[in-house]
Amino acid sequence: MIIRKERVNDFLNGLRAGYRLYAPVQTQAGPVFAPVNGATGWSWPAGNTLKSAKEVFLPQTETLFTYRTSLDGVQVEEARVEGRVVLLGVRPCDARSLTMLDKVFAGEGVRDPYYTARRENTVVLGLACNEPCGTCFCTSLGGSPFGTAGCDLLWVDLGDRYLVRVLTDRGKALVEGRPEFAPAGDADLAAARELEEGALGRMGTVPVQGVKEKLDRLFADPLWDRVYEKCLGCGTCTYLCPTCHCFDLTDEVIDGLGVRLRTWDACMYPLFTLHASGHNPRPTQKERFRQRIMHKFKYFVDNFRETACVGCGRCIRYCPVNIDIRAVLAEISAG
Amino acid sequence: MGTTEKIREIAAGLLRDGKVDVVIGYGPGTLPLRSTPLFARTVEEAERLIWDATCGNNLAVYLPGRKDRVGIVVKGCDSRAVVQLIHENQIAREQVFVIGVPCAGIIDRRQVEAAVEREIRAAREEGAELVVEGDGWSRRFNREEVLYGACRTCRHNNPVLYDALAGEPLPPRDGGPTLVEIWEKKPAGERRDFILSEMARCIRCYACRNACPMCYCTECFVDSSTPRWLGRATDAGENLFFQIGRVLHLAGRCVACGACSRACPMDIKLGLLLGKMNKDVLELFGHEAGLNPEEPPALNAFRPDDPETFLLGK
Amino acid sequence: MKNPYLPLPMRIEKITVETEDRSLRTFSLSFLNRADAEAFGFVPGQFAEVHVFGQGEAPFGIASSPLVRDRVEFTVNRIPGGVVTTALHNAREGDIVGLRGPLGNGYPVQEFEGKDVVIIGGGFAFTTLRSLTWYILANRERFGKLTVLYGAREPGLLLYKDELAAWQKRDDLELILTVDRGREGWQGKVGVVPAILKEAAPSAANAYAVVCGPPIMIRFTLPVLQELGFPPERVIMSLEMRMKCGLGMCGRCNIGHKYVCKDGPVFTLAELSELPAEY
Ligand SMILES: Cc1cc2nc3c(=O)[nH]c(=O)nc-3n(C[C@H](O)[C@H](O)[C@H](O)COP(=O)(O)OP(=O)(O)OC[C@H]3O[C@@H](n4cnc5c(N)ncnc54)[C@H](O)[C@@H]3O)c2cc1C
Ligand code: SF4
Ligand code: SF4
Ligand code: SF4
Ligand code: SF4
Ligand code: FES
Repeated sequence: MIIRKERVNDFLNGLRAGYRLYAPVQTQAGPVFAPVNGATGWSWPAGNTLKSAKEVFLPQTETLFTYRTSLDGVQVEEARVEGRVVLLGVRPCDARSLTMLDKVFAGEGVRDPYYTARRENTVVLGLACNEPCGTCFCTSLGGSPFGTAGCDLLWVDLGDRYLVRVLTDRGKALVEGRPEFAPAGDADLAAARELEEGALGRMGTVPVQGVKEKLDRLFADPLWDRVYEKCLGCGTCTYLCPTCHCFDLTDEVIDGLGVRLRTWDACMYPLFTLHASGHNPRPTQKERFRQRIMHKFKYFVDNFRETACVGCGRCIRYCPVNIDIRAVLAEISAG
Repeated sequence: MGTTEKIREIAAGLLRDGKVDVVIGYGPGTLPLRSTPLFARTVEEAERLIWDATCGNNLAVYLPGRKDRVGIVVKGCDSRAVVQLIHENQIAREQVFVIGVPCAGIIDRRQVEAAVEREIRAAREEGAELVVEGDGWSRRFNREEVLYGACRTCRHNNPVLYDALAGEPLPPRDGGPTLVEIWEKKPAGERRDFILSEMARCIRCYACRNACPMCYCTECFVDSSTPRWLGRATDAGENLFFQIGRVLHLAGRCVACGACSRACPMDIKLGLLLGKMNKDVLELFGHEAGLNPEEPPALNAFRPDDPETFLLGK
Repeated sequence: MKNPYLPLPMRIEKITVETEDRSLRTFSLSFLNRADAEAFGFVPGQFAEVHVFGQGEAPFGIASSPLVRDRVEFTVNRIPGGVVTTALHNAREGDIVGLRGPLGNGYPVQEFEGKDVVIIGGGFAFTTLRSLTWYILANRERFGKLTVLYGAREPGLLLYKDELAAWQKRDDLELILTVDRGREGWQGKVGVVPAILKEAAPSAANAYAVVCGPPIMIRFTLPVLQELGFPPERVIMSLEMRMKCGLGMCGRCNIGHKYVCKDGPVFTLAELSELPAEY
């Protein structure tokens, strides 16, 4: 389908009756996903957002339940995830990362009710990347700047209009019968194809083939002594990463009301694994750094047959000491 | 001989003669306008060391607690961190060979990125100019105009402590009003709103703390579980509490290198808070951290004439 | 969908001080809601998160028998500076706490059926072994010979002293108690667990060994088991890691690709040897 850019506002306004809208909102530091009213106050980001779309599904701080105790018991109030959401302008790498988080939080076995409810309530409107960034390497990891995994709709910017690919029933329900859309013509499809080829032609390649097999035997390799050394253990890479999902659970009491909080946490921090006995199985940054790489490129593959990196490039851009995961992967490949 | 060659020569010499086990300097980064810390342990590795206006990291962050003998490349501000760390017994003077670099200022890549509004694919310095290039475009900047604000008014651009100097000392900058001097003239309400809006962005990654050479506590107050000073929730209030705690703990110790602001992925203007605190410490106690190895930090020393306005309400 | 994060409300019915140094107490919890009691079933070796309201949660192995339906017991070591263990030790009978579980896999009791079982415990890690012992005793005819070897530094540090005394009198299990340092009146053995195990030399033919204890005991016990002929597939161990969610989601308890909370805490020695030695 096709929607002309001047009609997008009407479309979004029409959605507001049934959905809350989230879109990339510019901040001093870069765009992040935040609630918006219709088409104003935000813009389709040029590159990728600073923080990934994961925070819409796994917020950095979230109340799981509250409770009040009394002499004869405790009243527990579960936090409810309510309301339908349309999430606008998600890049294909971030959309694909959701399919990976699904495996952790909404896979076989026990499910996380908060994440799962948000996934079920949210329509993901993807935005294809006509101009991938220099740090993007999604294609090396099985993704694509025009990839559709995790998207309900994929929008392709054709200049004065968007080509809209309808990928799921949920996406279909959003656009079906809406007057803003017209059927796509051959010229539209051809234009999108040309853009896709252009984007693919710009992608760099990173040697990830065989990394898993290498890692299977590199656990004790001296390689880690080299690659971790400059790491500050700040966790920026993990907080910004769309597939990192580690969290902490803590209690707080606010005016007599108990709150069970879930907050982001990361394997890059020493306290993450510190035992109450004082023993820490990952005593130095070396083990923590290795854990991050192993988790993404080996353990996740062992458990879910997929690499838990979508190549979005955030850790490369924002690492304060320029640890470049592409270089780490290259070292592993060579190792 | 350029600074890069000079650094390489000094480093190679130190490693060849076995005077140090490692030289910590800068190597080429993988992104435009970025360098990366480089740990050189062999003469060959020392050949990869570089110096340019992207060498922003304060490498002194790697010093506390080291057991080996280390050569370290420092700018003016970084050298103050080394002095302060020696003073605080985090590293022994005999253990470090300080390779000082007179610093003409570090490029604020975010400022450049914001100015071009496009992705930068390559960048290089040409004399007093910075040339940045993207797909089918290029743009020249006067290097001086895209330096970090703090660098433009830096009064300590020459290392205060060094064993070898890679380059000729630079004339001190006359500065002009610092960002803090400009900022502190704003109305209190405006300053408060600004700080709170900055804090609302913070994701509490602690990159600021971890990039700071003076933040070396084995247990930071934010991590303490008994008592728990700081909640895990990330809201402007908790985030501000964290920064206030950090700033106060750095009173008389912050060397104004800007490593914290540079590391922050959320581009939070931490330099204003720390700069204000540094200015107050200077005005109240006449002390600046890391300038004089003989002088204890302001809050570790008591002088009968120390101002006591906070005690007596004078 | 059942919310795995919500605690079941429980009442502390009874607190027993287990050891002479008072650092270990057993908490016997009852369900405030009947329906919860009926729905709660577990396998020995599973654990649960105990929630002290306002303080937080901590994981503890379930120490009671799965056949006791209305109570769940935990034996808790007080960690100096530990938030939850200290709060529990300060709690009183009648206090309300939360319970989240059961979590983890538990011992492979089905596989034990028809086999001899050698239970080897050291220190306060005997908790889930107590649960296992009661389970086997309650289903005695389904298992072969049951040997329980339990050691502590000194007699005063043994857990569940009354039960041990009762077990001593039974003839359907062989209970061997040992301490590093004896004292007057001590009837059991004196010596470290690996040495006593070597001496007792239980038959490895058609047998499983279940080992829980401090790392040093484990380290010296495993070679003895190997000598006795226990294959790694039939040596069962229970691990501890720092945990939060207990669901395989929060990402902190992994060893290699296994999450100790979800894939464990019980592993065979054969499984563990496939994983990295450090994590
Ligand atoms: C599967 C499993 C079964 C277990 N079974 C039992 C059992 O049956 N009985 C038993 O007694 N124990 C058992 N444990 C161990 C028990 O879970 C821990 O002792 C308990 O979690 C400690 O909790 P705490 O809140 O008291 O300590 P915490 O407050 O979590 O930590 C205590 C200590 O850890 C360090 N620490 C932790 N967090 C921080 C921080 N933020 N900053 C600084 N230092 C910190 C400090 O040294 C502190 O003193 C088991 C553990 C597991 C994983
Ligand atoms: S990694 Fe791929 S999908 Fe993600 S922003 Fe870059 S080009 Fe787009
Ligand atoms: S962002 Fe860089 S320095 Fe920070 S933890 Fe990640 S790799 Fe280490
Ligand atoms: S680096 Fe920035 S975002 Fe991270 S904790 Fe510090 S101020 Fe907050
Ligand atoms: S707080 Fe910031 S400015 Fe001060 S010493 Fe640390 S890094 Fe430098
Ligand atoms: S405790 Fe959360 S993954 Fe194991």
